[in-house]
Amino acid sequence: MNPMDILLQYWPRLLDGTLMTIKLTLMGALIAGLISPFLALIRVQASPIAQAPLRLYVSFMRGTPIMAQLFLIFYGSGQFRPFLQEWGLWSFFRDPFNCALLTFALNSTAYQTEILRGGILGVPRGEVEAAMAIGMSRAHTLRRVVFPHAYRIAWPALGNEVILLMKASALASIVTVFDLMGRTRQVFSRSFDFSVYLWAALIYLGITAIFVLLWWQVEKRLSRHIAPHQTSRKPVKETQA
Amino acid sequence: MNRPETILKAQDIHKSYGTLEVLKGISLEARKHDVISILGSSGSGKSTFLRCLNFLETPTSGKVTVHGEEVLVKNGKPQNARHIAEIRSRLGMVFQQFNLWTHRTVLENVMEGPIQVKRQTKAEARDKSEALLARVGLEDRMDMYPSQLSGGQQQRVAIARALAMEPDAILFDEPTSALDPELVGEVLKVMKSLAAEGRTMIVVTHEMGFAREVSSEVVFLHNGRIAEQGPPEEMFTNPKTEVFERFIAKVM
Repeated sequence: MNPMDILLQYWPRLLDGTLMTIKLTLMGALIAGLISPFLALIRVQASPIAQAPLRLYVSFMRGTPIMAQLFLIFYGSGQFRPFLQEWGLWSFFRDPFNCALLTFALNSTAYQTEILRGGILGVPRGEVEAAMAIGMSRAHTLRRVVFPHAYRIAWPALGNEVILLMKASALASIVTVFDLMGRTRQVFSRSFDFSVYLWAALIYLGITAIFVLLWWQVEKRLSRHIAPHQTSRKPVKETQA
Repeated sequence: MNRPETILKAQDIHKSYGTLEVLKGISLEARKHDVISILGSSGSGKSTFLRCLNFLETPTSGKVTVHGEEVLVKNGKPQNARHIAEIRSRLGMVFQQFNLWTHRTVLENVMEGPIQVKRQTKAEARDKSEALLARVGLEDRMDMYPSQLSGGQQQRVAIARALAMEPDAILFDEPTSALDPELVGEVLKVMKSLAAEGRTMIVVTHEMGFAREVSSEVVFLHNGRIAEQGPPEEMFTNPKTEVFERFIAKVM
């Protein structure tokens, strides 16, 4: 079959899979994005003993294959079915989408925590002192000075992490989630036409390209206090006090 | 004649880093309208002492009283955070490296304290901040970011930021030391005008001219202690200690 015909015939399935991939990625990245600032703060400020469990979690998530983590949660939860049923959690773990989302969120949280930790460590000390000296509370200082800087520093690396997560989300297809990869495999098993994989690759590429563009727009906005005058750092004109 | 009220009082401030004792018991009292210059060679502890006054460094022991609010420190224990924040909000601080918030515009830098700490309305804070920026000669720089300004301009913004809190006293930590020589004058000029209007100021500085002409009292620190203290004219023309005599011979 002509590659074009494959697309024309199966595009609703591929679209459906694309939406699922986007949904999985964004939800996973978002959940991680909500949790990681707190964990990053713990990583920066807590005593080594207090943050030991967190470090263990981070090393586990970063040091084992994400596929192993997915299997652990998806098949592992089956082992504990009576226990989970008792707690009313079985209906959550029974759904492969939930298992995949949980895996990706846990995995991305570990990475985002470490990325953000680097960002927090890069915040100019003097600006934090200025906030303290003016009488800002700790929470205020974090919200108004520390995190705005930390996110600006961490932004490119965070974008990278989301892209990696998007590609890793193809693994969801092996626990029967019909994401883009899952749909592609399904179409292939019906048509035996290899070109559908080509279309899938192009769609993944397209998602990444659009995402990079959007991310870069935000980065420009976050850096507006630096970017526009890098070329002319010299003050325009001295005014006398 | 009634002496003006005491604004800030530090009693027997000690500070150690491990076994190194940087401050060996310093007491200082600032009354309203006082301009106290703290001099001393590098390593004398003058910046550390200033930073102990608003607890950017926690003294190992001692007592700081700001407008009747008293903080007693023993064994370098951390203090009630809210109490300390409250005291800090009454003491302006101007840093050697300006420390403006680089991600906010000049005007936002000045408005930040009044809005976030003093809970003023945006309109109120804006009016006051604009007036303060006009006062330090930066009314045409309000919407720029700190990175677009010269060091002297940034330091003037930092002074306006401190003034916006309507502090009881302002602490200056070597405010001109990071500036190009030709930009020092514009900052000193603002500081002189603040002294002239009766602001209470404590200034760690290397500007002997400022210390001599503007301050009401000079404190000379040496090895973590006050070696000499008094009215500037007297101290500069007739130093009583050998260390201060050597110091002025070196810097003037």
